[in-house]
Amino acid sequence: MAKKAKRTIVGSPLTPSMLTELGAVKRVPSLGEGFDPTGDWEQTYRIWTCHGYRERGNQDVGSMRIKKDVAQGGKTFTLSVRQRVTETDALLCTIEAEIDCLGDAVASPTGWQIASSFTRADGKIAKDVGSTETVFVEGDTMVIKTPAGRRHRPVERPLTCDWCLFEAVQRLEFDGDAPDLEFSLLEGLSLPKAAQRLSYRGRQRVTLGPEAVSLHCFQQLGRGVLPTEYWLDERHRLVAVTSMNKAYILQDA
Amino acid sequence: MSQDNDGNGRHRMNRRAFIKLSGSAVAVLAQGARAQRAVSRGSSRPKPKNMLLIVTDQQHLDTIRAGGCRHVHTPGLDRLVERGVRFTQSYSANPVCSPARSAIFTGRPSSEAAVPVNGRPIRSGLPNLGQWFREHTSYETYYAGKWHLPRTYTDDIPGFNVIHTGIGGFGYLCDSLMSRACEGFLRNRSRSKPFLLVASFLQPHDICEWLRLNTHDPGRLRYPELAGELPPLPENFQFDRSEPEPLRRRRLGDEPFKTGWSAQQWRYYRWSYYRNIEHVDAEIGRILHTLDDCGYTDETLIVFTADHGEGLAHHQMVRKSTLYDEAVRVPMVVSWPGHIAAHRTDTTHLVSGLDVMPTLCDYAGIEPPKGTRGTSLRDALEDRSRSSRDFIVSEVADNAGRMVRTSRYKYVAYCLDSTEQLFDMRDDPGETRNLAGETRCASIVAEHRRHLKAWESRLQVPGSIPHQDAWWYA
Repeated sequence: MAKKAKRTIVGSPLTPSMLTELGAVKRVPSLGEGFDPTGDWEQTYRIWTCHGYRERGNQDVGSMRIKKDVAQGGKTFTLSVRQRVTETDALLCTIEAEIDCLGDAVASPTGWQIASSFTRADGKIAKDVGSTETVFVEGDTMVIKTPAGRRHRPVERPLTCDWCLFEAVQRLEFDGDAPDLEFSLLEGLSLPKAAQRLSYRGRQRVTLGPEAVSLHCFQQLGRGVLPTEYWLDERHRLVAVTSMNKAYILQDA
Repeated sequence: MSQDNDGNGRHRMNRRAFIKLSGSAVAVLAQGARAQRAVSRGSSRPKPKNMLLIVTDQQHLDTIRAGGCRHVHTPGLDRLVERGVRFTQSYSANPVCSPARSAIFTGRPSSEAAVPVNGRPIRSGLPNLGQWFREHTSYETYYAGKWHLPRTYTDDIPGFNVIHTGIGGFGYLCDSLMSRACEGFLRNRSRSKPFLLVASFLQPHDICEWLRLNTHDPGRLRYPELAGELPPLPENFQFDRSEPEPLRRRRLGDEPFKTGWSAQQWRYYRWSYYRNIEHVDAEIGRILHTLDDCGYTDETLIVFTADHGEGLAHHQMVRKSTLYDEAVRVPMVVSWPGHIAAHRTDTTHLVSGLDVMPTLCDYAGIEPPKGTRGTSLRDALEDRSRSSRDFIVSEVADNAGRMVRTSRYKYVAYCLDSTEQLFDMRDDPGETRNLAGETRCASIVAEHRRHLKAWESRLQVPGSIPHQDAWWYA
């Protein structure tokens, strides 16, 4: 009988230091100078998952690119999101979204187009399972347009989505006395999750690859999500997001 | 009435004689049975145009707000409960992933399906739900999500068009993409052909990863603001120190006992589990909303269940693989607007994961495969209720543990341990007082042993299944 491979339980939650320990982060990403969270920028993250053991089962499963273009006047902006997740060897799921946002504290989305598509191993798109939607928010109602017609859904305000939070959190002050941001989340621009709150957790010394650095941490708690921690450098760049066994890790600019 | 759907004794072949059949002979017999066209029930009872089977992974019974759980918000599952019948006495046929799924998809106990542990394929010759429907009905059969018979995710499931696989092991990402694929499937398909769609979610199974990432109790709450929100410990947090050895061994091997969790860490674990429930609930909600949007709701029979439960700190257990209710009892909700009563709770019928296949066959107007052990729930659902069956049986621990559940009692035996358990589920629903050794309960124990023996005598277990000859009834 084959000897069972050694497996050591990780034991503690994912943090940037733990990502380094587990080999998910090998160095501080090269990001260039002059980052302005209120201006235009583009960031690409690896999506990494952890099985809970140190030796195996931990891997990159995809990537997420997010690009911010500020509109003339600077009060609104557009986020372009492209997330790709590989599923076994047989399927690649791509989600692309263009989101019009207000420049408020939670980057409230006012309208968006979102498309999901699935590519099979032979490179062909599985047309029978893809979908597209165009949505705009009118007051407390979401109007959803699909090829099949229109439908309406109520929304709670303030409203944001998980991708918008990647932008919003980079504009927040590192202020432990600031009140929690409270909002309703539209996860993946589709699933409502109420009663969310985001708060500043403080500055922590962590290890990123071979270097010890200070990162600022915000935490998100709420219904339907596991606690999510946003890790930012001194320039307010979002370096990593950790939530339970999943991490988004910023790549070189 | 036993679990066997064949009342004429055809399946009462001596078990030992059956084991002597070679594997190939078993396959030939089974193929022969499959080759026969299933006899249509010829019933005038209406058929739903479509069927949707939703399966979650590791969902404790008490995790639906509309079912009374106050620690969780589940608008998706609440809608199902409000539209259908919720069975509270619903049991997994084996509280481990692959064995439970083999029972759901074949209507056979996991020992008969040759799936006593994870990662085994269904025995050759036993048709699964998709194969049976594809052969005998006009329903188009589709599968999305976790399979685990044997591979967790695969694009090759006999009898089904696989519309979505997944990321092995992680529910949070793959369930979201899976429900999106189901949404796309429902929106894009032609309405002319009836479908059977299986949406098999991995959540709330991510609690397994949570346990490995929170094994060490830091001694303080990582998020102090949650202190006022943590669910209390369950009333049956304590456990009987003289319980059978397999249970004690399992508990000691789990994370909380390896590191000595505080009450607070146990409660944080429970809080985290409920967030995983809310996650999968939202994904289920996406599919239900899509059915509404596409006009499918009134013509679709929906069955919702889980492969097995979750310890959730009851008896200081985590995960599954025991025959305590927290692991073996599962949600089961069935809806079909206009045909099945809305918002009804059935607290009397004993229900098994084995019943899923015969129920769907019944609604499709066909007989289930010969030898199916489950029973159609249609009569119970449509309020033409026969009395509940006398008992159901669940298996566990690589075929080493078995449970007999009657209307009032639960009896548990392990073939490698002489300690039996008997619980009075009416007076002690938390299973805290083992009555098996009490003189006053001797006749009850004897009765349950007889049930188990009768059940076992009908089993058609392949010779490769471990421990089969270790049962004292053998």
